[in-house]
Amino acid sequence: MGERRLLGVDVGGTFTDFVYVEGGRTRIAKRPSTPSDPGRAIVDGLRELGWAPTDVVHGSTVATNTLLTRTGAPTALITTRGFRDTLEIGRQARPDLYALHPTRPDPLVGEELRFEVAERVSAEGEIIEPLDEAQLAEVLDRIAASGVQSAAICFLFSFINPAHERQAAELARERSLSVSASHEVLPQHREYERTSTTVANAYLAPVMSSYLNRLERSLSEHAGAGEPIGLRIMQSNGGSLSASGAGEHAVRTVLSGPAGGVAGAFAAAVAAGHEQAITFDMGGTSADVSLCPGRLLERTDLTIEGMPIRTPAVDLHTVGAGGGSIAWFDAGGALRVGPQSAGADPGPAAYGRGEAPTVTDAHAVLGRLRPEQRLGGTIALDPQRAERALRSVAEPFGGDPARAAAAVIDVVNANMARALRVISVERGHDPARFTLVAFGGAGPLHACDLAEALGIPAALIPPSPGVLSASGMLSADVTRDAERGAHLAIAADADGGDANLEALQEVYEALREQARTAIADDGYREDVRIEYAADLRYRGQSHELTVGLPGYDSAAAIREAFQTAHEERFGFRDEARDVELVTARVKARARGHDQPPQADEPASGSAPSAESEHKVMWDRLGPTKFIDRAAIGELVEGPAVITQVDATTLVPPGWAARPLPSGALLLERC
Amino acid sequence: MSEHDQTPDPARLAIFDSLVSSIADEMGATLRHTALSPNIKERADFSCAVFDAEGQLLAQAAHIPVHLGAMPESVRAVAKLAPWRPGDLAILNDPFLGGTHLPDVTMVSPVFAHGIAEPIGYVASRAHQADIGGMAPGSMPVAEELIQEGLVIPPLRLYRAGELVAEALELILRNVRTPDERRGDFAAQVAAQRLGERRVAALHDELGASAWPRHTVALLDHGERAARAALRELPRGRWTFADALDDDGHSDEPVPITVALTLEDGAAHFDFSGSAPQRAASINAVAPVTRSACYYVIRCLLPPETPTNAGLFRPISFTLPQGSVVAATPPVAVAAGNVETSQRIVDCVWGAFAQVLPERMPAASSGTMNNLTAGGLDPRTGGPWAYYETSGGGLGAGPQSAGLNAAHSHMTNTLNTPAEALELAYPLRVLENSIRRGSGGKGRHRGGDGLIRRTEFLADARVTLITERRVGRPWGASGGAEGRAGQNWLETSDGQSERELPGKIIISVKAGEAIRIETPGGGGWGSAV
Repeated sequence: MGERRLLGVDVGGTFTDFVYVEGGRTRIAKRPSTPSDPGRAIVDGLRELGWAPTDVVHGSTVATNTLLTRTGAPTALITTRGFRDTLEIGRQARPDLYALHPTRPDPLVGEELRFEVAERVSAEGEIIEPLDEAQLAEVLDRIAASGVQSAAICFLFSFINPAHERQAAELARERSLSVSASHEVLPQHREYERTSTTVANAYLAPVMSSYLNRLERSLSEHAGAGEPIGLRIMQSNGGSLSASGAGEHAVRTVLSGPAGGVAGAFAAAVAAGHEQAITFDMGGTSADVSLCPGRLLERTDLTIEGMPIRTPAVDLHTVGAGGGSIAWFDAGGALRVGPQSAGADPGPAAYGRGEAPTVTDAHAVLGRLRPEQRLGGTIALDPQRAERALRSVAEPFGGDPARAAAAVIDVVNANMARALRVISVERGHDPARFTLVAFGGAGPLHACDLAEALGIPAALIPPSPGVLSASGMLSADVTRDAERGAHLAIAADADGGDANLEALQEVYEALREQARTAIADDGYREDVRIEYAADLRYRGQSHELTVGLPGYDSAAAIREAFQTAHEERFGFRDEARDVELVTARVKARARGHDQPPQADEPASGSAPSAESEHKVMWDRLGPTKFIDRAAIGELVEGPAVITQVDATTLVPPGWAARPLPSGALLLERC
Repeated sequence: MSEHDQTPDPARLAIFDSLVSSIADEMGATLRHTALSPNIKERADFSCAVFDAEGQLLAQAAHIPVHLGAMPESVRAVAKLAPWRPGDLAILNDPFLGGTHLPDVTMVSPVFAHGIAEPIGYVASRAHQADIGGMAPGSMPVAEELIQEGLVIPPLRLYRAGELVAEALELILRNVRTPDERRGDFAAQVAAQRLGERRVAALHDELGASAWPRHTVALLDHGERAARAALRELPRGRWTFADALDDDGHSDEPVPITVALTLEDGAAHFDFSGSAPQRAASINAVAPVTRSACYYVIRCLLPPETPTNAGLFRPISFTLPQGSVVAATPPVAVAAGNVETSQRIVDCVWGAFAQVLPERMPAASSGTMNNLTAGGLDPRTGGPWAYYETSGGGLGAGPQSAGLNAAHSHMTNTLNTPAEALELAYPLRVLENSIRRGSGGKGRHRGGDGLIRRTEFLADARVTLITERRVGRPWGASGGAEGRAGQNWLETSDGQSERELPGKIIISVKAGEAIRIETPGGGGWGSAV
């Protein structure tokens, strides 16, 4: 095997970002995306750049976009008799409490393709009605007649006893259907959420497989004959997965891109020695925040377009606050910012087409963004237009656009601070123990303000905040997850706990084998780390906490891990109450690619002059240094504005910026 | 000298609103995640709110509209317990003293700030407890008097200066069917209260003692301005609408409700004169429930970003005849007033606005929560169980599109209990959960279809049904047809025979039998082409 050449590539809606490692050197690039065939931007870009990677980790919006645009494979659904409408009924709630005329998206499978078969498994896992194979055969005939080639199967209590689902899946596969069975996709209780996730997988898998096959072929052709390409896809939970695994478990990639960002930000934090991190990604229309207490946190309650997708995802909280967020007055006269955004088109007023006052315009009016800073290196910023836009909301501020601009920044910061509070304080974490890692085009503009608002002592700006997702994908661990609903009591009395300990061990051992085999099939047999976790609750509760476990051989240790987590999150523990293990989880983890520090070269275009001075409005108007990031040698004391092609970092008065050996900038109070 | 000495500017105001609202949200998250019963956790049948020193609503976590106008009453009702000490916490469920119906147990506690003797505000939480005693499991019986429906808790202290008043708690728990679950749910409610107290006190300290009242006053004024601005957009005049409940559960006689809506410049008045006198039955609504129903409709007409606070309610006034089904007085029962009559009150107000705004208002939705409560002894554990479920129906069609199928409408938005959660917890088996095809009213846009839910009992049980629109039907709008009425059935264990049940009934069900509820469809909109 020759030298490996690595590529992290994140396909976004507007840009495709590249991070390329060859011969101990890291290079970055950005190219416009090609939404009709996202792989084209990758291969064309590589050709243009003269890069020929052997290993590619890819963040793909294919799954998300397929759900948003409803362009997945036509899919049929087979359920237990009496439950074919579960997918449509959902939890019977309307999405918006006070909508005059509530609406919700149609289910992915229409009424005509939802079928039932007689079968029933009890809550205890006993078969109380056998699977009616004749009826199933009839259903499969009708599916074949409809021309549909993908099917989801979801029977009640299959997470406890999958016998019927297995049997049905086997028969369906014999008919050459692409099958997603719920005990394979999401073996957990709550039939609606499991059905919804399984249907989404069936809907996405054929599209994802064919996209990845095409991409693999083009990459291999590009690399030259005989060169096998290692193609991996970023999963929603921040680990990467082989292309074949992603084809099969397509639903696990719905948050691929944002997960790369969180993984990249956390990796940048670890490289700088800050393992307690809060990641903060602010783009044009929204901001994503995630808490990483020494590791990536996962959540299993994701909803996309009204559809529950319960496979693990990075624990991301999104708020409608971005550079393009529009400022306006509500009917009672309060100043609101967002969630409406000027987006990329028409964009903020300062970029020449929009009229509405946005967060970016507010920064321009305050002097923090300069005319010579160009959008994507091409469009010049027009502070006069920004000022005109801000005048439209300046009336309650004495007609002063600068005061209005400061108010807009305050409001948008408060919106984001609320999101940061949700993920930290509300979950029992003290922000003062964390470092804020800011990235995305607008993140570094707000890093210090937000740190200040939450009492966070330091903020970190990664080397290339604009392509962080792509680099995060490259360094992300390779992971395979296995999970299963178990519903086992971990009795309050340690002696009573032993009865279930054996059952518990059996579950974990089976899951460990499953995860090990999957990651071995992906080519990782050595240096594989196994991690155990469980969704636990007090018996009688119906929400679970996912808790990491040191192992599974002590009921007392599992109880204690849960009690501690419950106390941390909700402020109390109950020694007297039984603890119940609802879902057992095992993760096999192998290390991702090492990444050498990035070369100090601009992504594209030329850097502005290294240092200049201009007037900027902080608490009051004052002279402020503008410095090119590549030119920073040592400590920069605020007030200062640090510029680079893909982001601008504010260093307010009272703060200072210091470059770290890892290439990141550390902002601290001085 | 600081900016805090003046009225907060439009940015400070928006920020304060966001901070106060997030406290209510956070209380709700704590309650939901720490509660024990599926009713609170899975169905989210609760509300949390923050009040100023005068007991005016500053923010409410949006879960259940029926609590909208009723939470402030509970704060008013505990006023007689003053003077307060830090750590005090009051509990109540008396519908005639700050409550809505008995299962809704409300906790209210004062918030104290450093160095200030009087409370600077209050926090409150209200959660539907799965059982609070009385003649039937689930405490939603077909009753005549309040005292039959369950334990009545007048406003009293559950905690005194941070110390649990154990006698009070034991008295309550001795009078309910599932004391362990109640103990857990009460603990969750207390946790939410304590968190709310800490957060409000911290926000107060951050702003300072003199800025706090200026911010709360400004926030309420803002709510009022927003409401008046929206009301000013509406035509002026007077419109009336009448609808009726099928019956009161004891006779077949319908129970009429009428409203006269008057819209003036930036204000609305609801006059319910002419509605039926209260009955010796559970369909009576207390006045706060009626006000909630009206606030809910107004809230639907306001822009979505409008905050929910007491200012919003200022331009709205009422004429509520005392001793009627919309303003009940002791000693009548009220359990169904909260869940069923509230829906019919919405239908009346909705129908009045449909005349004002025919191009905006959808047709009537299913108009019932289809309440099923059940309980007995669980053969698996030997212990008692109590279960409460409500079911959605068809939503009314609107000027733009058809109504949603099988969803909750108007005064509730509680989730259903998943079959896989329910069967793990209770001796029940769900046989069917499907859409009742063809039940929505025809029209240019079709009303949503109702649903069919069949539940088999694996042990003998006492079951109460309180359902509506079994006789009357959800009306269409602008020429659309009515939705189909709902039906309740008891199926025998062999599946060979069935008998139709009335809309409101308490029955004993044998192991192996099943209850089938078919819920009403929504009204259609516009004439069918």
